[in-house]
Amino acid sequence: MDFSLSALNIPVFVVLIVYAIYILFYVLYSLFNLFHLMKYGVEGVQLFLIVIVFTGGTILLVAGSIFWLLSFDWTVAIPLNQILRAYNNDILPISEF
Amino acid sequence: MLHLHHLPNQRPDEKLISVLRRHWFALLTIAGAFFLLTVIPLFLGIYFWDVFSVWSRQPFLGPILVVTISIYFLSIWLFAFLEFTDYYLDMWVITSERVINIEQEGLFKRTTSELDLASVQDATAETRGFLQTTFSYGNVFVQTAGEKSRFHFKNIPHPERVQEIVMRLVQEDKQRVTKQPATQKPTV
Repeated sequence: MDFSLSALNIPVFVVLIVYAIYILFYVLYSLFNLFHLMKYGVEGVQLFLIVIVFTGGTILLVAGSIFWLLSFDWTVAIPLNQILRAYNNDILPISEF
Repeated sequence: MLHLHHLPNQRPDEKLISVLRRHWFALLTIAGAFFLLTVIPLFLGIYFWDVFSVWSRQPFLGPILVVTISIYFLSIWLFAFLEFTDYYLDMWVITSERVINIEQEGLFKRTTSELDLASVQDATAETRGFLQTTFSYGNVFVQTAGEKSRFHFKNIPHPERVQEIVMRLVQEDKQRVTKQPATQKPTV
C-alpha cells in the first residue's frame, strides 16, 4: 500500500479538542483567580460585583462561541492536499481581480 | 477575606484611618488596553467582512477561524481580569497604630508587611511627571528609624494628603506614648 501525505484526512473535530484544552486552562486559571479574590479581597458589594461581571462576561463569550461553533459540520474530514491548497478563489476572492 | 472592621492582628483601640489603592489611572491603563485589543480586531473584521464571511463558511478554515477568535477574546478577557485582580489586591491600610502594605505580584506572589507608627521617622510625598501632576497621584515613602528600606506607597491618589495623615498619626502616637505612665523598672 502506497503512502501519500496528501491523501491523509484531518477530521475537523481536532480543532474542538484544541479548543477544549484551552477552555480547561481558562477555567482552571479563572477559578484560581476567583479563589484569590475571595480569599484576599475586601469583603463587600464591590467584590461580589467583580465576581459577577467576570463570570457573566465569560458565560457570554463561551455561549456566543458555542452558538457559532454549532453551525459547523464537525464530522467532515478534510484531505491534507485540500488544506494545503489554500490560495484559491473561494478563500481569497480578491485574486479574481 | 479581609474584613476592614477586623484587621489581622488588630490591637485594642486600633482604628482604621484609610485604605488606599493605586490611582484610578492604573485602572484606566488596563481598560484602555482591553478596549484597543477588543475594538481593533472587531473593526478589522467589519472592514474585511467580505473576505471574512467567505473564510468562515469554509468547512475546515471556518471552525479554525471561529475557535481562534473565541480563544483570542477569552484570553483578552482573562488578561484584563488578571490585571484588575493585581490592581484590586494591592493595597495600603493606614490605622492609628500601624501601616499595612499588601502587595500582589501576579497570581503566585503575595507580600504583606506592616510598620509600626512608633518606628516611623519620616514620610516623603513624590509627584513626578506630567500625568502624576495632572491627575494628582504619586508615591509616598515612609522611612523608618535605623532601617535602610523604605515603605513605598506606589501611585496612590493625593500623596501629599497621605503623607500629612501619616505624619499626623506618628505625632499622635508619640504623644500617646509619652502620656502613658512610665513602667517602673525592676530594682536590682
